[in-house]
Amino acid sequence: MTSKFRRVLATGVASACLFAGAAYADTMKIGITQNNVGVDSYQTTYERAFIAAAEANPDVETVVLDAGGDVARQIAQMEDLIQQEVDAIIIWPTNGEAVIPAVRKAHNADIPVIVTNSNIAEQGFDFIKSFSGPDNITQGSRAAEIMCDKFKDMGIDGEAQIVQISGQPGYTTAIERAKGFEDRLPEVCPDVTLVETQPGDWNREKSQRVMEAFLVKYDDIDGVYSGDDNMGVGALNAAKAAGRDGIIFVGATNFAVGYEAMERGEYWGSIYQSPVDDAEAALQTAIDVLNGEDVPFLNYFDTPKITHDNMAEFSKPVF
Amino acid sequence: MEPGTLSTYLKRGAIWGFIVLELIFFSIAGEFLSLSDKPFMDLDNMLLLFKQSAPIGIIAIGMTLIMINGNIDLSVGAIFAMSAVIFLDSMTWPIFAGLGDAVIPVAWVLALLTGVGLGAINGLIVWKTGVDAFIVTLGAMLGYRGLVFMYNGEQPTSHLNWTLVDFAEAQFLGIHTATWFLLGVTLVLWFIMTRTVHGRNAYAIGDNREAAVNAGIRVGPHFLINFMIIGFLAALSAVVFYAESGSVNPNDGELYELWAITAVVLGGTKLAGGSGSIISTFGGVLAIQLLRKGLGHIGADTETVNLVIGLILIAVLFLDRQLNLKGREALRI
Amino acid sequence: MSEITSKTANETPAARSKGARPVQLGVIGTFLARQGILVAFALFMIGFTIANERFLDPDNIMGVIRSSAILGVMALGVTFVVISGNLDLSVGSMMSFATIVVLDLHDKLGPALAIPSMYAMVLCLGAFIGFLVGYLRLNSLIVTLGMLSAIHGLTLTYSGGKNMDIADKEGTWFDVFGQSAVLGIPVPILLFALLASGLGIMLAKTPFGRKVYAVGGNGTAATFSGIRRARVVFTCYLISAFCVATAGLIQASRSLGSQNTVGQGLELEVLAAVILGGASLMGGAGTIFKTVIGVLILGFIQNGLLLVGLQFYAQYVVTWIIIILAVWLDIAAKRGKLWSPIA
Repeated sequence: MTSKFRRVLATGVASACLFAGAAYADTMKIGITQNNVGVDSYQTTYERAFIAAAEANPDVETVVLDAGGDVARQIAQMEDLIQQEVDAIIIWPTNGEAVIPAVRKAHNADIPVIVTNSNIAEQGFDFIKSFSGPDNITQGSRAAEIMCDKFKDMGIDGEAQIVQISGQPGYTTAIERAKGFEDRLPEVCPDVTLVETQPGDWNREKSQRVMEAFLVKYDDIDGVYSGDDNMGVGALNAAKAAGRDGIIFVGATNFAVGYEAMERGEYWGSIYQSPVDDAEAALQTAIDVLNGEDVPFLNYFDTPKITHDNMAEFSKPVF
Repeated sequence: MEPGTLSTYLKRGAIWGFIVLELIFFSIAGEFLSLSDKPFMDLDNMLLLFKQSAPIGIIAIGMTLIMINGNIDLSVGAIFAMSAVIFLDSMTWPIFAGLGDAVIPVAWVLALLTGVGLGAINGLIVWKTGVDAFIVTLGAMLGYRGLVFMYNGEQPTSHLNWTLVDFAEAQFLGIHTATWFLLGVTLVLWFIMTRTVHGRNAYAIGDNREAAVNAGIRVGPHFLINFMIIGFLAALSAVVFYAESGSVNPNDGELYELWAITAVVLGGTKLAGGSGSIISTFGGVLAIQLLRKGLGHIGADTETVNLVIGLILIAVLFLDRQLNLKGREALRI
Repeated sequence: MSEITSKTANETPAARSKGARPVQLGVIGTFLARQGILVAFALFMIGFTIANERFLDPDNIMGVIRSSAILGVMALGVTFVVISGNLDLSVGSMMSFATIVVLDLHDKLGPALAIPSMYAMVLCLGAFIGFLVGYLRLNSLIVTLGMLSAIHGLTLTYSGGKNMDIADKEGTWFDVFGQSAVLGIPVPILLFALLASGLGIMLAKTPFGRKVYAVGGNGTAATFSGIRRARVVFTCYLISAFCVATAGLIQASRSLGSQNTVGQGLELEVLAAVILGGASLMGGAGTIFKTVIGVLILGFIQNGLLLVGLQFYAQYVVTWIIIILAVWLDIAAKRGKLWSPIA
C-alpha cells in the first residue's frame, strides 16, 4: 500500500511541476491486471519494473492490479478498469482463452488492450491492439537447438532420451514453448526421442515431484527440457537427490538460480529473458498505441540463447 | 431462544454496519489514493459489485443451508469445476451437433445434473455411513478434483459461444445476468428457510439433532436434499460464470469452499448449526467482494489483501463472540 | 472442530459409553474394521508389488519415505491438535513462511543463528493461534482459515514476493537436514522417525498426553477434573508449529531455495493423512503411530499409482475412496453396525 501511496505522491508532484512548467498534455491512465504476483520472482520483478518505468514517465499514471491466478478475479478487474475509464489496459492473462470475453468488453468500450508476456488465444486477436512479450515459439526451438548441439558434442545424439516438463496447461506461453521445442527437435536431432511430457505448472516443487516420478519410471534420461529455469532447477534438485548425474538440463527464462547452477556446471543452457525488458516493453507499447503510433501486432523483444559456454556475456538475472 | 432483542438486532445488523463502514472508508481513502476520477460509490461500480459477487455468492447461499444443519461442504469448489467442464464440453459433443444454439439449454441441464449428482453422492454417504460431513466432503474435494483432471488431463476445457457470452453480458433493467441469478437464488433460499417446513426442520436439526429425530424429522433424507441443493447451486454458479468465460482450467474453483465458508461466517452463521440467515450471508458475500474491490481501488498489493482478509475474519469471529457473550449476560440479568 | 461434530457425537451416545461393543460385525469383521487401515496398507503393498516389481526395491521404498517426510513431520503436530478437538488449516502457509524465513536469514545471520530464529518466529505464530483458540476459545476452523490467508500475506511481505535462494549453495553445511544421510539413511527420514518416536511417547506415556486426550474427548469434563483446557490446547498448537518449523527446515535444506507458495495446499493433504490414520475430528482419538501409517499409505499410493503408469490425479480419487472407507469402517466397528442409524 505504501508503495502505491508513494507512487501517487511522486506522480502528483511530478505532474504538478509540469503543470506549473508549461504545456501540460493530458496524462495517460494505464491499467494493468497481472497474472499472479508473488508466485515467483519473475512476476514480482516485472511488477516492480513496471511501476518504476511508470514513475519515471511524467505523462503516465498507472493502476496496478493482481488477479492472484484466479480467472474470475481477473475478469472482475477488467470490468473495474473499464468502469474507471482508463485510457488503455494491459493484461497478463491467467488463461489465454477464458479472458477473451472480458477483452472484447474493453474493446467494445473503445479501450485499447495490450496483452503482455503470454498471449491470448487467436479467437481474441480481433479485440487487442498488440501483444508485447517474448517470442515463445522461437524460444522453444532455440532450446531444442541448445540441447541438440550439446548432445552432438557428447556424441549421444543418435540415442539420447529426454523428458519435458512444461509450464501450466492452457497457458499460451507453455503451449508455445512446448510446440517450438517439439517441432524443432526432430529437425535438428531426428534420433533423439522425447519419451514423456508432464506439466510442472511453473512451480519448482511440482516440477521436482514430476522429475522424481520420471526418475522412478525411466532408467535412462539424458536430457530434461523445462518451460522455465524455476522448474528446471526443481528437476535438477530431484536428479541430485536421486544421485543421477550427467543429465543435460535446458530451460527458458533464465532465473538467478538457473544462472548459478549453470556456473557450477550442473545446468547446461537456457534462454535469457528479462522481466524488466518485458515490463518496459509492455508499458512502451501501451504508450505508443495511445500516441497513435504504428505498433507491430506481435511486438517481440529479443531473447538470446545462454549456455555454460557463453554465460560470461550475460549479467546474472536479478530475479 | 430470545437472547435479548437488542443484541439479536446488533448481530443481524453487524454485517450491514460493516459494509457501510467499508463503503465510507473506501470512498474517503479512494479520494486520496485512487487514480480514478469516478467515486468508489458510483452506480455502475456498485452494480458490478453485485455481479462480481455472484460466483462465490451463489455457492455461499447454499453453504448457509448446509451449515445451519451443522454440516459443512468442502467439495463445492470441485463440483463447480466438474460442472463447468461438463457445461463447456457438452456443447461440442457430436450428438448435439445439429442443435445449433439450442445446445445451450441442454448443456445447462447436463451441468446442473452433474452438480446435483455429485451433491447426492455426498449426501448419501453422509446419510448411510454416518461419517461426519467434514470428512466426507474433504474426501470428495480430492476425489471430485481427481475426476475433473481425469476428464481432460491437465488441459483446460474450452468452448467459446458468443450467443452465450452476449446473454451473460446482457443487463436486463440495468442489472447484469449474474446478479439476477444471485438475487433469485437468495430469494428462493430465503423463502425455503423462513417459510417452509424444510427450513424449520433445517434449524431444528442443527439446533439439536437428537430432539429433531425424536420429533419425527427424517434427518437422513433431509441431509441428502440439502447436499443436492448445494450441488445444484455450485453447478449453477459454474454455468453462470463460464457462460462469460468459455474456458475452464482443471484447477478452477480451488479455495472457493473456503471463501464461501468465510462469507457465511461473516454473515453470522455458527459452525455449530441451528442458527444463521440467508440474508446475512448475502451481506457477508458483499462484504468480501467489497473488501477486494476496495483494496484494489486504493491500490493495495497482493500481500496486504491476503493479510487484511485473514485478520478481518479472525476479528469478526472475536467480535461476534463478544456480542454473544453480552447477549447472554443481558439475558441473565 | 468439537463444535461442529458435537452434534454427531450425540447420535451414538450408547455406543460410545458402552466402550463400543460389537454387535453385528462378528470377530473377523471387527478386526477388519478396527485394524482396517493396516489391512488396507498390507493389501496395497501386495497389490503394487505384483503390478510392478520395482515397487519393493529398497531404493524405491527409501525414496517414498524420504519424499513423505515433510508431509509426515507436519502431520505429527496436527495429530496433537486434532486429538485435542481442534483443527489446523494454517500449516501449509506456515510451512512456506518457515522455509522462506530460514533461507533469508541463512545469508544474513549464518545457518547457526538462522535456524533458532526461524523456530522462534514460527513458534510465535503457533502461540498466536494457540492463544486465539485456547484462551479466547475462538473456533479453530475459522481462526486457522484466517491465518492461512494472513500468513501467506505475511510471507509475501517478508520476501517482497521474490523467490528466496541461498547465495553460496556449495559452501554451506545447511544442506545436511535435507540432502545428507547417516548410516545410509537420509536425514529427513531420521528427523521424521526421531520426532515421531519423541512425540509418540509424549502422547502415549506422559501426563500431558493423557490431558490432550481428555480435553479432546470431553472438554467440559476435563475442565471439571482440573485440567486447564486452554493451556493444553495452546501447547498443542506450539507442538504443531514446532513440527511445521522442522518441515520448513527440511524443505529449505533440501532445495536451498524456494518459492513463496511452497507449502500451499499441504494443509489438506496433512489432514487427509491424519484422518486416514484414524484420528477422530471429534477429538479424543488417534495415535502418532497410526498417523505415520496414514502418511506412508498416502506416499505409497502415490508412488504405486505412478509406477503402474497412472497420472498423479488418480491418487486423488483413490485417496477419496480410502478415506471414506477407513473412517466408515472405524465408526461401524465402534457402533457395531455397518449402516448408520440415522433415519
